[in-house]
Amino acid sequence: MPRSPIRSLSFRARSVALPALSHALLAVLPARAQVAPPAAPPPARHATIALDARLATDAGIRLGDLVVVAAAPGIPGDTLRVAAFVRRGADPSEVARAEYRVRMHLADLQRVLGYGDRVDRFAIATRDSAATTRAIAGINAAAFGFRAHRSRDIAIETSRTFAVISRFHKAIGVITIGASAIFLLCIMLMKVEERRRDVAALRLVGLSAASVVRAVVIEAALVSVIGSGAGVVLGAVASRLVNAWYQQLYRTPLTFSLVTPGIVGFAVALSVVLGLAAGVLAARRLVRTPPLALLGR
Amino acid sequence: MSGGLSGGASGAAAAGEVVLSARDVHRDYQLAGETVHAVRGISLEVRAGDWVALVGPSGCGKSTLLNLLGAIDRPTSGTIAVRGRDIAALRDRDATAFRLRHVGFVFQRFYLMPQLSALENIELPMAEAGVARAERRARARELLAYVGLDARERHRPAELSGGEQQRAAIARALANRPAFLLADEPTGELDAATGAGIIALFARLNAAGTTIVVVTHDGDLARAARRVIHLRDGHVVNEVHA
Amino acid sequence: MIGVLAAASLLRHRARTALAVAGVAVSAAMVLDMVMLSTGMRESFRSLLERGGFQVRVGPRGAMPFDGEATVGGGAGLLDTLRAIRGITMVAPVLGATLHAPQPGGAVAAFALGVIAGSQGDYVLQEGHEAVADGEVVLNDPMLAAVRRRVGDTLTLATGYDPQLRTFSGGRTLRIAGRVRFRYLAADQRGAALPLATLQAMGGDARRDRLSLVMLRVDPAADVEAIRAGIDAALPRVSALSTATALQQAEQRLSYFRQLAFILGSISLVVGFLLVTTIVTVSVHERVGEIAVMRAIGVSRRHVVQQVVLEGLVLSLAGSAGGLALGLVTARWLDSILATFPGLPESVDFFLFQSIPALAALGMLVLTGLAAGAIPAWRAATLPVAATLRREAVA
Ligand SMILES: Nc1ncnc2c1ncn2[C@@H]1O[C@H](COP(=O)(O)OP(=O)(O)OP(=O)(O)O)[C@@H](O)[C@H]1O
Ligand SMILES: [Mg+2]
Repeated sequence: MPRSPIRSLSFRARSVALPALSHALLAVLPARAQVAPPAAPPPARHATIALDARLATDAGIRLGDLVVVAAAPGIPGDTLRVAAFVRRGADPSEVARAEYRVRMHLADLQRVLGYGDRVDRFAIATRDSAATTRAIAGINAAAFGFRAHRSRDIAIETSRTFAVISRFHKAIGVITIGASAIFLLCIMLMKVEERRRDVAALRLVGLSAASVVRAVVIEAALVSVIGSGAGVVLGAVASRLVNAWYQQLYRTPLTFSLVTPGIVGFAVALSVVLGLAAGVLAARRLVRTPPLALLGR
Repeated sequence: MSGGLSGGASGAAAAGEVVLSARDVHRDYQLAGETVHAVRGISLEVRAGDWVALVGPSGCGKSTLLNLLGAIDRPTSGTIAVRGRDIAALRDRDATAFRLRHVGFVFQRFYLMPQLSALENIELPMAEAGVARAERRARARELLAYVGLDARERHRPAELSGGEQQRAAIARALANRPAFLLADEPTGELDAATGAGIIALFARLNAAGTTIVVVTHDGDLARAARRVIHLRDGHVVNEVHA
Repeated sequence: MIGVLAAASLLRHRARTALAVAGVAVSAAMVLDMVMLSTGMRESFRSLLERGGFQVRVGPRGAMPFDGEATVGGGAGLLDTLRAIRGITMVAPVLGATLHAPQPGGAVAAFALGVIAGSQGDYVLQEGHEAVADGEVVLNDPMLAAVRRRVGDTLTLATGYDPQLRTFSGGRTLRIAGRVRFRYLAADQRGAALPLATLQAMGGDARRDRLSLVMLRVDPAADVEAIRAGIDAALPRVSALSTATALQQAEQRLSYFRQLAFILGSISLVVGFLLVTTIVTVSVHERVGEIAVMRAIGVSRRHVVQQVVLEGLVLSLAGSAGGLALGLVTARWLDSILATFPGLPESVDFFLFQSIPALAALGMLVLTGLAAGAIPAWRAATLPVAATLRREAVA
């Protein structure tokens, strides 16, 4: 396909709502960039458009190229100059979508769509929260066909998908924590059991049960602290790998896995607590057994 | 009962026939650049029905020699033959099969499987040799009765005294009717009275035709043997016949 | 005897064995869930797409069906052309639109489908009868509730609504013939279906003879892909999509879960492997003396290996059995979380139990357990007998 400086894009207004699901499922067809000759010789100065950086990469479009933008395939549209590329935002709700986004000046988009002087919504900036409440009340009271919503409420509504995923992740987290707790307890029990003979020897030499328990528990604590340190490093590396993988897969700057101090603290605390618990449990069992039995006599 | 305890199918040997012969056997250990000569040129012969005691100071190579005779270990040089068959150069698989069918080991610390009952411990080598369940059970019972443990067949090793454990271990060693018994300080962990019981058991076995080689520091045990071979520094220094 | 020894070794440390089995069970549950997740969505969407029995969907070219009211004109001609294609046994045209029902507080919007009753695959009748005659409509439960109507009532629906002026256009009063459930709508999404001709007429010139989608049922003996490609090539205004392609695109949307399933499933397998290896290694380590004695009295390497591997196998088998139960429970839990996804058709399950993939997953875990026993088993088999016995005697 010969490279033409002029591309034609087609898209539809985003205002149309209520997609039936079967169709929402199918609605992942990427907008196709089609090569078409300009309908008329281009005017000297073109209106500008900002393209999705992914679209630019996929279609080989460069800054300054001309593209034809139409409301539907096959109908004449406007020729615009690519003035900017827009990198995708870190919006979790868009992550798995393959569609491209473009940005145009309002008037250009209204003309292309034959939308007249209509808009889908206004965003209103206010001075403070009280002013927001007043503005919402005022607009809604005027009741000439608009409804005002607080941005936060809309954000909550639109992040419902994400909330579900987040809950799903938490559930998986709970299962994983259960598994690691069991794993940890198991390892620590074995680690202490290994000390069987040493404990017997210490007891035979005359050390008190308390000091034997203390020694074993201190060792267990040390092991779990060192282990969780290694675990934090491993987790940080794994988190980077996961991010790198998903970011290249979905071409998004979104951070998928985040190691926060809270998580690190939780992981370390959990492993130390479990390590100590296993240490205490096993050590108490060891000192209750007669030393000679420990030696297997 | 006597003839069936050892020297069975595999061990049928006319009294006086040479069952075990070592010729100029050496065993060196490499230790951090230094060579330890544990056995330095030992030759000996053991005949069917013999009872040989190997004695000597600690570290003179008794255990090493016994392991070589039992194909647990391989000599650095020299040959060891069992009824004319060279066992010094057997591959691991053949050496294992050889130990299973021709050698009965008795250890100083008994080494019974702690998780198996006395009866099962005796069955283990027979199970390994593919003896049918009913047959091996019957023979294990017979052996337990022979060593005086018929009342203890369900007991685990931890529930037996040292002397009882050693009796069970001797019964295990006899399970596959080996050509000879090899015992490394079998009374080493036992008090004199219990040790005497084990010595009596060996005497009974030997009287019934079992060939025995025993390593010991125990004067009573050595005196009970027909031949006593004195070792020092990996050499045979002299031999005394009873 | 080998079995007895392996069992005895596992029973010797009951707490440890129980923990190991529990750990393997959680790993197995996770592996199972992840397999259910990755195969479940696919199968669930496939059965959803195939439930109506339509294998090909034809829509306006370059458009995303129903996303934006893209339609294709010359509907009648298109249908005739499609009907004439050999191998197509049923042609079900659909027009999608948003309808508004004037209500005291404003307007209630619903997604409406114009269909031909008897050849549609979009909904299942639950009460009353289908909207066959002109002027009839069927609604789903959320819509009935929103307009407070019952089957048999009438309802005014309009194709156009201007929120500024609060005026309706293209309105018509229809009789509610039945109550239905839409396959592709979420549980709380309002929907209506009416005869294709009625909806086309309500839209005025904008909808006359226009279609959003045509679903095709293909003779089982015919080659679906060939028919799809034929339509795609012959009709420039439309593009044809097979169930497989639709599925692929749906999968792309949900690829995150498949990826996640793969990553978590692999990690779980590794964890299960580590757990079994650790336990069996420690168990061998504790028993080197016993193993050396067994070797000394003539137990073959093969049997020593068998015993150790058997130990790992028992751990992973018991764990997998527990994991099967645990996995089914957790899958239900996780599914109930994902089922709250906004806009998801009710009948979509994220986790689907299918015996073959599930058994394959658990089989993989058991194989992992076998492999996990291999390293310690090799160690046990190659133990130097004389040296180990000597060490034991010294200890
Ligand atoms: N695996 C080994 N590695 C290195 N040296 C060894 C090894 N086994 C034995 N030796 C050395 O070989 C020599 C003979 O050992 P051996 O165990 O045969 O003596 P022993 O006569 O049985 O002594 P004891 O009466 O104390 O049992 C000793 O000096 C010992 O240190
Ligand atoms: Mg010795």
